[in-house]
Amino acid sequence: MNLNIKAREENTYDAIVVGTGISGGWSAKELTENGLETLVLERGRDVKHIDDYPTATLDPWELPPNDQVPYEERKHYEKQLRTGYTIRESTKHWWIRDTDQPYEERKRFDWIRGYHVGGRSIMWGRHSYRLSPMDFEANAREGIAVDWPIRYEDLEPWYSHVEKFAGICGEALGLPQLPDSEFLPPMELNCVEEALRESMAETFDRVLTTGRVANLTRSHQGRGSCMYRNLCSRGCPYGAYFSSNASTLPAAERTGNMTLRPHSIVNSVMYDEETGKATGVRVVDAESGEMYEYYARIIFLNASTVNSTSILMNSTSDRFPDGMGNDSGELGHNMMDHHFRVGANGEMDGFEDRYYYGRRPNGFYIPRFRNINGNDRDYLRGFGYQGSASREGWHRGVRELAIGSELKNLVSTPGKWTLGMTAFGEMLPDHSNRMWLNHDETDKWGQPTVVFDVEFKENEYKMREDMKNDAAEMLEAAGMKNVSTYDDAGGPGLGIHEMGTARMGRDPQTSVLGEWNQIHTVPNVFITDGSCMTSAACQNPSLTYMALSARAANYAAEQIKKGDL
Amino acid sequence: MSNESGMNRKEAIKRTGLLLGGVIFAPNILGVLKGCSPTPGGWDPELFSAEQARVVTALSDVILPADDTPSASEVGVPQFIETMVKDHYSEEQRNQFLDGLDRFADEYRTEIQGEYFDGTDDEKYDFTYHQNRIAIEESPGESPFILTFKELTMLGYFTSEVGATQVLRYEANPGMYDGCMPLEEVGRTWAT
Repeated sequence: MNLNIKAREENTYDAIVVGTGISGGWSAKELTENGLETLVLERGRDVKHIDDYPTATLDPWELPPNDQVPYEERKHYEKQLRTGYTIRESTKHWWIRDTDQPYEERKRFDWIRGYHVGGRSIMWGRHSYRLSPMDFEANAREGIAVDWPIRYEDLEPWYSHVEKFAGICGEALGLPQLPDSEFLPPMELNCVEEALRESMAETFDRVLTTGRVANLTRSHQGRGSCMYRNLCSRGCPYGAYFSSNASTLPAAERTGNMTLRPHSIVNSVMYDEETGKATGVRVVDAESGEMYEYYARIIFLNASTVNSTSILMNSTSDRFPDGMGNDSGELGHNMMDHHFRVGANGEMDGFEDRYYYGRRPNGFYIPRFRNINGNDRDYLRGFGYQGSASREGWHRGVRELAIGSELKNLVSTPGKWTLGMTAFGEMLPDHSNRMWLNHDETDKWGQPTVVFDVEFKENEYKMREDMKNDAAEMLEAAGMKNVSTYDDAGGPGLGIHEMGTARMGRDPQTSVLGEWNQIHTVPNVFITDGSCMTSAACQNPSLTYMALSARAANYAAEQIKKGDL
Repeated sequence: MSNESGMNRKEAIKRTGLLLGGVIFAPNILGVLKGCSPTPGGWDPELFSAEQARVVTALSDVILPADDTPSASEVGVPQFIETMVKDHYSEEQRNQFLDGLDRFADEYRTEIQGEYFDGTDDEKYDFTYHQNRIAIEESPGESPFILTFKELTMLGYFTSEVGATQVLRYEANPGMYDGCMPLEEVGRTWAT
């Protein structure tokens, strides 16, 4: 008996999914629900819903001082700290230590990562917006990069499909630039946000709405309603927001068709020159360092944009000397993020006798209003805003004359209403914005490291002028006082919306993936994370990854049933 | 707000109470992170000298004294400040803080005679009030020692259980959101 053949049989599945974040969870759910025996690989540790959220119910006084990570330990998180909000004692276990996971920046690039089952679906911002018909058409209309091989209508039923399961709360508006989702009841705006909404409608005919977020405003699909603790990024014991851990992976598990293997770093995809298909993946066990091979009829790469692209780049063969599926030479190019951290703050008089109850894990959203009906600005595309209003807390007492009991009295009453908002702008795909692998600098598992050479360009900088000035103008028109603007882009990557390095397109000569997210030249490899994006739009992208993953997985399952894959 | 939503709110609060009984708490949560709940007394300063520790204790209690709620030192604020300065500051920030602390005590010695921590309540209050006022009026956009100290004191106090729940208001599990409620129904500033 040939032992190798036996080992190969034991390591063979119908499908392999690489990664367990937002897109990987969806691929796993849809493939297993279609009856496919699926191996799901995750490079980090396992995280069980509820059991592995160690800080989820801690009160502030149960955490180390101010929830702050000590100075010496912060040195391990040099890049993760660039967000300013990720590395706290209550959340640091969700983020990688940069000293363990090095990369190189030819220009500043903020690569913010979490390696564990669930990936960044545990810590994501949960804002969920559909792309619109104009987003899928913009590249073709303006001659930018390449055309998307799909249109809004192709994705529309899949948006509905994933929204009904994930649970998105929000308000239907009927806007062409921001199609409505299948909504759960919306979260409320507070009084000052309502005032801004009314002023904007009256003065500018612009819309402000409650954020469309993947938080449950009533129990849904066996998960509990939001408790308004606003501690989502610690993991939710109620399952009240969408994460792979709370939602898609348990669904995949229930089918009995999923095998989940944590601590599995995918080194490369194996290729068979004779069949012209991939045969499986090579995996480094993160704990033992041993290499394993797993085989399947189809492979879904959902390792996140940079890591899925890295795996393809590291999957070389005689047929693909420059990386699997890279006949076009576009693999690793056209990196996008959203550019943000530009906007305005103001203070609102009045409403002194009004306050709010509960910590809403959401704010308001202002849909794109620039360049909707033709281009009338000196830049292409547009931006939306996210923001919120609140009343000043105890901190306002620091710069007051009061000390002693007067200070206690002063801060026990809330201070002024303040409102802040930041714009999220579309970043154009540009061939010169790219990443590649450095095989001379390897990580502790012997894997090549990533080099980034990405920057914001002229279109983004021109757009930022409007992003800043429009914000101030709207706050002033609403009667706000002491309006101030800010503009601090940081590095690309800071939006944690990396996209575009294995883009979809119609032509194998200019793109990596086709209309079903298959590699043009290796039809049994699908990529449905952010790397597939042909353009970025200005909306938060995760909902689109969900829809693309579900669509591609159901297509793949159909093709297998037909015997075509 | 309509009566109807008022009813809904009460209902929601009631429902939350019921739900809370069913919350699954990880049993060893407190063991996972080393909780630093400062307790009064028994503080053995590691960074501060005995004298500095007495100034820190006295000054934090002038900023947030005992009245119908406990004082800063009663909820462990001096220990909190030491931990912040020792473990969370860079060496430069730490030296700046310690210099500022010593200068504060020196100025008191020069102006009032004697040690700050031996002063009467009025002497300490007047001196501190003056220092706070000068800092606010003369250093906009900067953080002189007294304002750094005041901020640390308030941070330690209002992240403590007493400060968050007795002076401010804290709900671990609000269970609902109302965006525009009469302030009097909430009562006090939210701790978080």
